[in-house]
Amino acid sequence: MDNFSLLMGGFGTALTPLHIALMIGGVLMGLVVGVLPGLGAPNGVSLLIPLTFSLDPTSAIILLSSMYWGALFGGSTTSILFNIPGEPSSVATTFDGYPMARRGQPTRALTLAFMSAGFGALLGVVVITLLAGWAARFALRFGAPEYFAVYFLAFAAFIGMGTGAPLKIVASLSAGLLLSTVGMDSVTGVVRLTYGFTDLLGGISFLVVVIGLFGLGEILATVQEGLRFRGVASRIRLGDVLATMAELPRYWATLLRSGVVGTWMGITPGGPTAASFMSYGVARQASGKSGPAFGTGRPEGIVAPEAADHSAGTCAMLPMLALGVPSSATAAVMMGGLMIWGLTPGPMLFATKPDFVWGLIASMYVSNVVAVILVLATVPLFAALLRIPFAIIGPIIVAICLVGAYTVSSAGFDLWLALVFGLVGYLLTRLDYPLAPLILAMVLGHKAENAFHQSMILSDGSLGIFFSNPLVASIMAIALALLILPRLGGLRRRRNPPEVVE
Amino acid sequence: MRVGRLPAEMLAAALTGGLGLAGVLGSAELGASWTESGPEPGYFPFYVGLILIAAALGNGVMALRARGAQDEAWLEPEQSRRLLGFLVPLLAYVAGSVWLGLYVASAVYVAFNARFRGGYRGVVAVAIGAAFTVLLYVVFEMAFKVPLLKGPLEPLLGIH
Repeated sequence: MDNFSLLMGGFGTALTPLHIALMIGGVLMGLVVGVLPGLGAPNGVSLLIPLTFSLDPTSAIILLSSMYWGALFGGSTTSILFNIPGEPSSVATTFDGYPMARRGQPTRALTLAFMSAGFGALLGVVVITLLAGWAARFALRFGAPEYFAVYFLAFAAFIGMGTGAPLKIVASLSAGLLLSTVGMDSVTGVVRLTYGFTDLLGGISFLVVVIGLFGLGEILATVQEGLRFRGVASRIRLGDVLATMAELPRYWATLLRSGVVGTWMGITPGGPTAASFMSYGVARQASGKSGPAFGTGRPEGIVAPEAADHSAGTCAMLPMLALGVPSSATAAVMMGGLMIWGLTPGPMLFATKPDFVWGLIASMYVSNVVAVILVLATVPLFAALLRIPFAIIGPIIVAICLVGAYTVSSAGFDLWLALVFGLVGYLLTRLDYPLAPLILAMVLGHKAENAFHQSMILSDGSLGIFFSNPLVASIMAIALALLILPRLGGLRRRRNPPEVVE
Repeated sequence: MRVGRLPAEMLAAALTGGLGLAGVLGSAELGASWTESGPEPGYFPFYVGLILIAAALGNGVMALRARGAQDEAWLEPEQSRRLLGFLVPLLAYVAGSVWLGLYVASAVYVAFNARFRGGYRGVVAVAIGAAFTVLLYVVFEMAFKVPLLKGPLEPLLGIH
C-alpha cells in the first residue's frame, strides 16, 4: 500500500466521534496549559499520561498530540496579548506580536499567528505523510550499532545546533543519561546507583522530572519576576480576522521559508524553539532595510516564528515514530508514554501498528484545523485565565503539578522528587542550562545504553564497530561533524533577539 | 538577600559535578570494566559520570573566567524575598501532603495563599481551597478512577 491509501485508512481511524471529541478536549486542555505560565506542553502531556492508561493507545496518542498542538497555540496567545511566552518556543513571537497588539491590532496579530501556525503545522504533516513510509523502510536496516549512532547523532545535534554554551548542554545531557541508569537495570538485573534508597529501586520517572523541571521550576521563575500582567484587550472581531486572512498570501515567501526551516529543525533534533528563533532571524535578514523595523510589530516577525514553531512541532513526531528519537522535549515525553503503553517506537511500529501510526498522522491534519478554529473562538476566554490573581492561580498550578507527580506511580516520594527537581530546574534555567536535552537523554538513556552494550558485545569491545559499514559510519560522521564543525569557524549561530521597542 | 551570578554558577556546577561523582563512585562499586560476557553493569554510568564531572568542572572554570559577570546580580534582594515567601509554604505543602494526604494539604495550601498572599477574607479563602479539593476529588477519584494520596483525616469523613 502506498502512503496515500494508508493515510486514508488513518482518516478512517481518526474521524470517529470519540476521537474527534478527544481532539477537541485535547486542544482545549492544551490551550489552558499553553496559556498558564508554569504549565507548558511537556509537562501538560506528562500530567495527562497517567490518566490515559484506560484508553487504547491510538485514542491516547490522539489526545496527547492534540494537547500539544493546543499548547503551541496557547503559548502564542499569551506571547501576543501579555508579552509572556507561554512556551519557550513562542518567545520569538513576543518580539513583534506584542508591539502589534499594543498598537491596537490584537486581532490582526493573533490571526496572523494562528493562521501561519496552522499553515506551518499542515506543511509539517504533509512532509511527515510523504516521508513516513520511506523513513520506516530506511530504519528497518538498522541494527544495534546504527541505533546507537542515531542516538549519538541526536545528542550531538543538541550540542552542535543548540543555542547555549556547549558545556552546559553536555552537562544537561549527561545528567539525564545518568539519571536514567538509576534503579533496576533491565539488561543485567542489577540494582544501580540507588544508594540504599528503596524508593529509587524502580528508577526515577522522567515524568516526575519533567513536572519538576518544567512545571515547578517555571512557576518559581514566574514568582521571582513578580507577576504583573499588562494585558492587551483581547476581543476578537470577525471582520479583522477575515481581513487578516486576506492579507496572509502576501507573506507567502516568509511562510514557505519558515516552514522549510521548521521542517528541517523538526526532523533533525533542533526542536521548535531553535526553529522559531532561526526563522525569525532569517526573515529579518531577508527583509533587508525596507519597511518598518523588526521588533515594532512587523507582520513577518509574527508569521516567521509561528510557522517555523508549528512545522517543527509536527515534524518532531516523524523521527520519534520512525526511529524512536524525539527531537523536542514534548515529543520525548510522548515517546515515553508510548513505551509505557507497551508500544516500541521505531520502524516496526509502522509494520505492526499501521492503525496507530496513520491514525495519528491523519489526526494531525484534523486536530490542527480544529485547533485554529477553537483558538480563534476561545481566545478571550483563555486570556481571561491570566486575569485571575496569581495568589490563586499560582498555588493551583503548583497543586496540579504535585498531584500529577503523584499519579505517575502513586508514590509520596515522587512529591519530594518533583520539589527537588523544581528547585534544580529553576537554578539551571536561570543560568541558561537547556533542559530539553536532559529529558531527551532520560527517555533515550536505556535504549542508548542497550544499543551500546549490544554493539560492544558484537564487536568484543571495539569502538571500530561504529565505523564498520557505510551506513553506521556515515551516521557517525554526520554526528561528529555536527559536534565539531560549529566550533571551528567561529561562525556559531547565536540567538539574536532584537531589542524590543516599547 | 542579593545573590551574585558567580555563586549561582558555582552551585550549579557543584550540583551537576556532585551527581557525576555519585554516578562514578556508585558505578565503580558495581564494576565498570569489561568481562568475558560483556560490559559490567557500571560500565555505561561510569563513563557518563566522568563526562558529567568534566563538563561541570568546565562550567565552573568558565564562570570564574567570565570577567564582570561576577558582580552581576543573579537574584535581587526583592526577588529572593518573593521567592522565599513562595518556597516556605511550598515546602510545608509537600511535607503536609506526605503526612495528611494531597486533598487536605491542597485545600490548606490554596486557602493559605488566597488569605495571606491574595488578601481575600478568611471565609472566601477557605471556600476557594475547599472548592479546589472537591474538584480534584471529582476529576481524579470519580472521573478517571485514579486515587490520590490520602492521609489519616479522610477515613474520619468516610472517604476511602
